[in-house]
Amino acid sequence: MSAAPTNTRTVNVTIDGHTLSVPEGMLVVEAAKRLGTQIPVYCYHPKLDPAGLCRICLVEIEKMPKLQIACATRVSEGMVVHTSSAKVAEARKGVLEFLLLNHPLDCPICDKGGECDLQDFTMSYGPGESRLTEPKLHKPKMVDLGPTIVLDEERCILCRRCTRFDDEIAQERNLIVDDRGFGSLIATRHGGEYTSYFSGNTTEICPVGALTSKAYRFRSRPWDLGHTDSICTQCSVGCNFRIDTRFGRIMRTFTRENTAVDDGWLCDRGRYTFNYLYSPHRLRTPSVKRDGARVDVTFAEAVALTAPRLADAAKAGRVGVIGGGRLSDEEAYALQRFTRDVLGTNNIDYRAHLQKFATPSRFGAHLTDLDDASLILMFGALTPEQAPILDLRIRRAVARGHAKLMYVGPYRPELPVEARYVDYPPGEIADLMNQLADVVHHGKEETGEGFVAEIAQELASSEKIIAIHHGRDPRGAEALERLMETLHRFDHPVGILVVGATSNARGAEAAGCVPNLGPGYSPVSGAPGMTTNQMLAAAAAGKLDALLVIGANPALTFSDGDLVRRALAKVPFLAVADQVMTETASYADVVFASASFAEKRGHVTNLEGRRQPFAAAIDSPIEVRDDAQLVAALAVALERGDVVSADPDVLYAQLRAAEAVSQPSHATDASLPRPLADTPPAPADTHDGAFTVIPIPHLYAGGGGVAFDPGTAAMRPSPYATFHPDDAARIGVIEGGRVTLTGKGGSIEVDARVALNVPRGFVLVLADMPEAPENRLLDESGFGRATAVSAGVKVRAAG
Amino acid sequence: MADFEPVLTKGFGSLDLTDLAVYRKTGGFEALTKAMRDMTPEAVVNEVSASNLRGRGGAGFPTGKKWSFLPKDGRPRYLVCNSDEAEPGTFKDHMLLENAPFNLIEGLVLAAYAINAKRIFIYIRGEFLQGYRIFSKALADARAAGFVGHDILGSGYSVEIVAHRGAGAYICGEETAQLNSLEGKRGEPRLKPPFPANAGLYGMPTVVNNVETLMYVPHIITRGAQWFASIGPEKSPGPKVISVSGHVVKPGNYEIPLGITVRELIDGYAGGLRPGRTVKAVQPGGGSSAAIFAEDLDCGIDFESLAAKKTMLGSGAVVVMDDTACMVRSAVTLNRFYEHESCGQCTPCREGGQWVHRMVARLEAGEGSEQDLRILGTINRTITGTNLCALGDSIMPFLQSVMTRFPDEFKAHVTQAGCPLRLRKESAA
Amino acid sequence: MTPQREKRGSELIARYPDRRSALIPFLQFCQEEDGYVTDQAIADAAELVRLTPAEVESVASFYSLLFRHPVGGHVIQVCRTLACMLRGADELQAHIKQRLGVGHLETTPDGMFTYEEVECLAACDRAPCLQHNLEFVYDVTPQSFDALLEQWRAQPRPASPMPAE
Repeated sequence: MSAAPTNTRTVNVTIDGHTLSVPEGMLVVEAAKRLGTQIPVYCYHPKLDPAGLCRICLVEIEKMPKLQIACATRVSEGMVVHTSSAKVAEARKGVLEFLLLNHPLDCPICDKGGECDLQDFTMSYGPGESRLTEPKLHKPKMVDLGPTIVLDEERCILCRRCTRFDDEIAQERNLIVDDRGFGSLIATRHGGEYTSYFSGNTTEICPVGALTSKAYRFRSRPWDLGHTDSICTQCSVGCNFRIDTRFGRIMRTFTRENTAVDDGWLCDRGRYTFNYLYSPHRLRTPSVKRDGARVDVTFAEAVALTAPRLADAAKAGRVGVIGGGRLSDEEAYALQRFTRDVLGTNNIDYRAHLQKFATPSRFGAHLTDLDDASLILMFGALTPEQAPILDLRIRRAVARGHAKLMYVGPYRPELPVEARYVDYPPGEIADLMNQLADVVHHGKEETGEGFVAEIAQELASSEKIIAIHHGRDPRGAEALERLMETLHRFDHPVGILVVGATSNARGAEAAGCVPNLGPGYSPVSGAPGMTTNQMLAAAAAGKLDALLVIGANPALTFSDGDLVRRALAKVPFLAVADQVMTETASYADVVFASASFAEKRGHVTNLEGRRQPFAAAIDSPIEVRDDAQLVAALAVALERGDVVSADPDVLYAQLRAAEAVSQPSHATDASLPRPLADTPPAPADTHDGAFTVIPIPHLYAGGGGVAFDPGTAAMRPSPYATFHPDDAARIGVIEGGRVTLTGKGGSIEVDARVALNVPRGFVLVLADMPEAPENRLLDESGFGRATAVSAGVKVRAAG
Repeated sequence: MADFEPVLTKGFGSLDLTDLAVYRKTGGFEALTKAMRDMTPEAVVNEVSASNLRGRGGAGFPTGKKWSFLPKDGRPRYLVCNSDEAEPGTFKDHMLLENAPFNLIEGLVLAAYAINAKRIFIYIRGEFLQGYRIFSKALADARAAGFVGHDILGSGYSVEIVAHRGAGAYICGEETAQLNSLEGKRGEPRLKPPFPANAGLYGMPTVVNNVETLMYVPHIITRGAQWFASIGPEKSPGPKVISVSGHVVKPGNYEIPLGITVRELIDGYAGGLRPGRTVKAVQPGGGSSAAIFAEDLDCGIDFESLAAKKTMLGSGAVVVMDDTACMVRSAVTLNRFYEHESCGQCTPCREGGQWVHRMVARLEAGEGSEQDLRILGTINRTITGTNLCALGDSIMPFLQSVMTRFPDEFKAHVTQAGCPLRLRKESAA
Repeated sequence: MTPQREKRGSELIARYPDRRSALIPFLQFCQEEDGYVTDQAIADAAELVRLTPAEVESVASFYSLLFRHPVGGHVIQVCRTLACMLRGADELQAHIKQRLGVGHLETTPDGMFTYEEVECLAACDRAPCLQHNLEFVYDVTPQSFDALLEQWRAQPRPASPMPAE
């Protein structure tokens, strides 16, 4: 972004006869906006540096001999601007005439028609009649830029918003201007693809119909779309977006800028993952297992089958509930209410993933804290894959040169911006943070290991420090908070962000979907219930009679893949609610069809604790219910209908009331109680010739909707495992080959990759892929040991 | 004119000035020696300011003033020498670089000393491979002799010169495009402000000077500002190398005192026209300048006189067209040039420039229309003055001037479906 | 990257305060080696100056003396701008194209000659002019071109059509 002078001095500027006072150095185009005066722009975009290319924004400024561009000229005291003088009008007409010279008049079939700035400005400012008898020069109209975007070169007006977005915002620099002059084209490198996680944004900022998304091409006209304000639930950032529908069907999603959260951008997973709703894999009706086959039933039948089983198990104190992290705040509240007040147990846990906590008990930070951070410490989390829009803030802070990024972990992921890597063995990061806290606390004289002292020095010399944690390791979290406290005591502004494994992990935690805490982090009365791990262990040991899993897929995502599968197979009664047939659901006696984010309303809480409302955009299929309706129906069946409401407004009020009582404080000097968590053992360290498995997140991994979404299928990775070249050579595995990994819970066969950023003795395995669940190799620690054997060469289809 | 002795081009053709010893015999490196021994950087700036030397690259900005603009904030400064000569009709720097590299090196070091730069980059047009080689060899010789590099002549002042070859782009003659190119980027002009004096090469204060401009500096130091200021008109004094080409008997570079007339240049220096021919049009300041005509030949060649004729001295490239030249054909070559050389950033230059070329080419091919003539007659209003850099302003001046002066010739291309000159020639044959 | 390229790359980087400045000279060096800027050269340059290959592609495509496609052993670039046109460039171009049997930016089937019409070469006093592998040829006439052509055909193929330094 432009280095606009940031002072508070104001100047008086006169625009079209109206004088107003604006901050000195403001761009003329922005000052005009304050008066409600629109100056047409193409290349200008408020989030990008001024480029001054398109020349449509030329205005007349008194005492300047030539017209000036409003998008790059800054106001000064006494400046007098005319935005619609005859000279200005002529220049605008000229620019429009030049742009239209070879622009195809295919507006009737152009996706942008109706929301096109070329169309609109031509109507407002263009020449009344065309003198263009010039034959149009033709260019390719369907250039496939990559898996998501198609370029129409004829429509492109070369404003370069897209390439500048890819450069300045995404910092990826794969979209370029090729050639020069009249031959200029938007392109990728020779034979390359535009595969950014942020590609969809280019279709929005494209002022014409040059860049279109494959997902939306020729699907609808803008004026036929209904708009619903919603929140993306594909990750824990909580980007604000708009769902555009036509005839009750989602056509596309669109940014709805919230500068504090998304800054006006969406990632492609968030933008494009909705077509699974229309795939045959979408669950449209509940089903039950009968004689080994799955049979569709009505919602009422499914409830009637489930309620008594849960009640019986509850009576015996042998029931458990897993879920909440993918639910709305209201649903999560309803679920814990049902569990505690209807089933009478504290056996509830939203943690079906490696994640163990979502709320920093102290020093919780906001996303905007990244903007002026001087040091960003990433502990284990991998934000480019897990929270892409958060990662854009990191990229910007680092690219602007005021923030340093430090990555602490057992391997060196490729990060989009420069980072310092601190290699540290898995499971021992807590030790490192404790050592750092000691060194920072005792000052320089007490030096630990060389690099510990060095990092401590880096910490001490940085002003504002923001740490990003993956929340998998409670001991690490405690150590991190201790380190932050030490730094805080030395007057460093500090903050912690915990990236959620699911969209509403933090909301579920706040709503009380943990064994020891109720809504608002209030300690439960009576003994805490069982954690997910304990429930699964109990189920596997035959000590649990019924398990209710709502909006979770522990079979794929729980760390100990062996335990979870044994438990799900063993438990006498399993009911699962989800939107698609997951591995977990495949074990279930009863499967409920859940409403999607687009089919319900409520709130979700993002990773920084911001609670945001979303509205229903479409109706759900007739036998589909949202999860609050489900538990409310179960409560009714158990004659406790008074306890659990299905109404989001009632639930929200109840949640707020409960929170008001518990009065959780986010102040840095208070601390929130932490959810009960088992302390995982350190990863096994045996010299058995096996590899330590590190699960690697990927934006498009997952076993839910994304696994069945035709819109994102092209971006979905094929499962893989990456070895250090020396290890690969030792076991006879080659890049592009196949490898079989065998661990505690069985084997998976995946593509083999070889890379230098993997330490020897480790294997990085793509996580959360139903085709090859990496949790077969993991244990409770979230890591695991696996042997690897070459499985030959990958067979590829010809051509 | 008779008492004027060439300055930069003195000895060309008779002396091998690419030989350091020869250059030194002609007084070479005396100015540098003097400056290193006796002059502060400020004194060098003052001398050049007093001489009223104006940039020889095209814009004519006072050199001393440019040098004194740099902010004094301790940041490193750079001197960039613009040797990316590509303005149609201009070939002076090409010749100066190949024939007098030491004079240029001496000027470079003096200018760098004046602005306290520690590094000089000379951006040599990619096509001037021979010039690059000659310069590089001279640079090595000058370095070996202690005129460039560490602690020059025991003064304590050190400066390095890097010769950098361009790769084929006229627009890199525009100073901010040149800086981008030097930084390894596309040679696209930058938005201004900031100006190079504040944020130039690598964001640091930078002076960009033309080859010829810098070559006068040693002579000004040796002979004094008064000597230079006394040559030619008061406001644009000094000698200037003028490139004369086209329909003259002796095309070439001529170093003249500014202020002589176009007629004197053509007849007195360039051997006049071929027998029986008359002047039809003269482009006095490179491809970007409007033409002047037979009735203007007594106009002086200097910044002010040419500006009064609504054209410019520019880089000092005089292209002479006699009565056999078709103005439409002439315009086509220039409009094609600007289409080819537009960087493509700004809409009017990229799209408008291409459109103008398309229309003029159509006229030349006998396929033009009255509508084309009407559009060409007014299109300068939306092309000129609306772009980020001056390239867009170069598209129309020549075309507009010849269309205004020879409207019938343009109309005839439409009514006779082709060039009347060619048709006349063909019917005569 | 080959050891020669690596060596050249570090020499070039040492010339400038910022490594990116070595990009164009490095591409010129690669072009001298390979005859044109290959995909490998783009990748090597990206590695050297720490840009994405796409950024290098964007830069390379801007400059007319960097060829992204194979060219002949002899690159003949004939000036087409005003001063040369006034002194017979049109006729010279027509002659050369007819002799080589190729048009603008085309290469003869035997891979020997690439013909290109270029903008003002700054040798207007010796018009019409051309460059042959970046060496100037002045005052060219159809006759003098024919003599040169014979000479070029008789010689061994030049080491590089586009020398870097």
